[in-house]
Amino acid sequence: MTRRWIRTAALVAALSPLAAGADETCNSPYMANLVKGQEDFVHVWTLGVKGMGDGNDKLVTIDAHPKSKNFGKVVHKLSVPGRGEAHHMGFTDDRRYLWAGRLDDNKIFVFDLVNPEKPKLVRTIDNLASKTGFVGPHTFYAMPGRMLVQALSNTKDHGGVTGLVLFNNKGKIVDKYPMPVGDVGGAAGDGYGYDIAINPAKNTMLTSSFTGWNNYMMDLGKLVKDAEAMKRFGNTMAVWDVKAMKAQKVLAVPGAPLEIRWSLKEGDNWAVTATALTSKIWLVKQDAQGQWQAKDVATIGDPAKIPLPVDISITADGKGLWVNTFMDGTTRYFDLSNPEAPKQTYAKQTGRQVNMISQSWDGKRVYITSSLLANWDKKGEDNEQVVRAYDWDGKDLKLAFEVDFNQLQLGRAHHMKFSVRPAGKTLGQLQGGTRVAALQ
Amino acid sequence: MNRAARRWRLVAPAAALACWAAPPSAHAAKDAAPPAARVEPDVSRLPAPGTYKLPRLFAAPDGEVLRPDGRRLRLAQVLAGRLSVVSFIYTYCRDPEGCPLAWRALDAVHAALLADPALARQAQLVSISFDPSHDTPEQMRLFGGARIADPRVRWWFLTTASVPRLLPLLEGFGQDVSVELDARGRPTRTLNHLLKVFVVDGRRGVREVYGVPTLAPQAILNDLRTLALEAAVP
Repeated sequence: MTRRWIRTAALVAALSPLAAGADETCNSPYMANLVKGQEDFVHVWTLGVKGMGDGNDKLVTIDAHPKSKNFGKVVHKLSVPGRGEAHHMGFTDDRRYLWAGRLDDNKIFVFDLVNPEKPKLVRTIDNLASKTGFVGPHTFYAMPGRMLVQALSNTKDHGGVTGLVLFNNKGKIVDKYPMPVGDVGGAAGDGYGYDIAINPAKNTMLTSSFTGWNNYMMDLGKLVKDAEAMKRFGNTMAVWDVKAMKAQKVLAVPGAPLEIRWSLKEGDNWAVTATALTSKIWLVKQDAQGQWQAKDVATIGDPAKIPLPVDISITADGKGLWVNTFMDGTTRYFDLSNPEAPKQTYAKQTGRQVNMISQSWDGKRVYITSSLLANWDKKGEDNEQVVRAYDWDGKDLKLAFEVDFNQLQLGRAHHMKFSVRPAGKTLGQLQGGTRVAALQ
Repeated sequence: MNRAARRWRLVAPAAALACWAAPPSAHAAKDAAPPAARVEPDVSRLPAPGTYKLPRLFAAPDGEVLRPDGRRLRLAQVLAGRLSVVSFIYTYCRDPEGCPLAWRALDAVHAALLADPALARQAQLVSISFDPSHDTPEQMRLFGGARIADPRVRWWFLTTASVPRLLPLLEGFGQDVSVELDARGRPTRTLNHLLKVFVVDGRRGVREVYGVPTLAPQAILNDLRTLALEAAVP
């Protein structure tokens, strides 16, 4: 009984100041079952490659426990039919199910992780576009009893104007919300979407903006030479009343603001994002009048070289920020002690191309993947496809293991989520023959 | 009762007799201080009742439940025609860092309904036990105390005949619960679950789900008033 409440207390503690928390620090604040210690598995949503293995998209599970005999090895792979631009994933609020989306064919796969060593596909959702007119399910953000999904595009012109879709946890669409366009709170909304980040205590949701299907499915070399296409990237963030699901204000954040991370430090009420095209870190916080404002607070690398910051990961204490820049394959660490003036204190080339970065709650382990989008990844020898795990001692990243997805004929490694072996069994599992509570 | 159901009931502990039988208010009073790390939702930032819509998230499940007097009824009967605040509990939940958070919120909603008879006539609280092997109808009667008979605000204290009877309700509400195992793989008394409080409309539609980060009495009352306004529209 004491342990139960230790867990509950840990949940509550980890949820401050936003009542927010998760294993890796980017997850929804409404999610349960924090993994504050050693993760057992890393699940990698992987893009299939024609002619490589079975060619299908797949969920690849890697054993990440250093004491395991399988440490650093692929212990399970679960293919789903076809290739549809596998991209991001998100757990449900109870952390039982993992939703994984595809940006091209709009399919959403729901995996049951009751046994995280062997995920099972339990549902495929394929009505997003037909029911909502939105395309490209990107961010999967758990809310109590439901999943909020940010789309990237639309069925009419495959441009960047899009919306949010609310599903219940059974996979049924219950509502949709277009992204703000026109003047909202003093700035013009462009209707684009990308990430979701909620501050429950403030009833505030932030969204960011990327680009539509026409661009994210285009070859990157061709895209950067297309001046008109390059104009069609998001330049805004939106501040929402999350209870009412109404946009209250649009913030001008030029250059495709991508991942958003609220500080998890108690008492903080600010968030950061990084802009892909302008290579900046932006801070979002309230001014003296309580109005949310965004301002450019740091530069990532040399913006003239377009390093393309593609993912960020904030430390649990809100004092540090990892930034991956795709083009130069570099993992950077920024000191966020003063969020008004982040300073880069460390950098290491972790690959020929790097995309996602995830850290453990204690900040001691950092994982990176290599694939951005199938048509944006580098070509030839630079197209390495890996998951690399590092130990971080505060001074240097030391390689713990590497999984070569090309060599193993798996595909392009994209998004990661952590899991641990469950400490118990569900009532349903126990119903078959084991007594429920050993109350005797 | 089928054999499986009987087996679940057979594991009811002798220790059940020693369980906590104080009313929720006593518990809440004992643990009045909120958990230090929880940041209270800033309710001033919530929209006013009637200015927002609550999506119909899913249909509340139906199933057989037991009243404190031992009589059987369907949960659908309990929920029909009323705005309900539904939660799963267990009566031996005593840790100051845990259930008191929910109890404080439910107690505050109860107090607010006492002060608003018009809303109280449309609303109710429904508490269902996670652990039928421990929380017998009699146990729930002791737990609910004077609230059960208070005609001003309806507060149901329900349990089920067995775990097999309970499971469809948990599944239907999407309420997770797992039992920790000991070193030898045997179930312990430790139940893990995500705290959830459900707001259900009179047509048994679940319209809001609260978790630890958002649980606030004012937010629940706003929802009840919003749904009351919605129901008043012909």
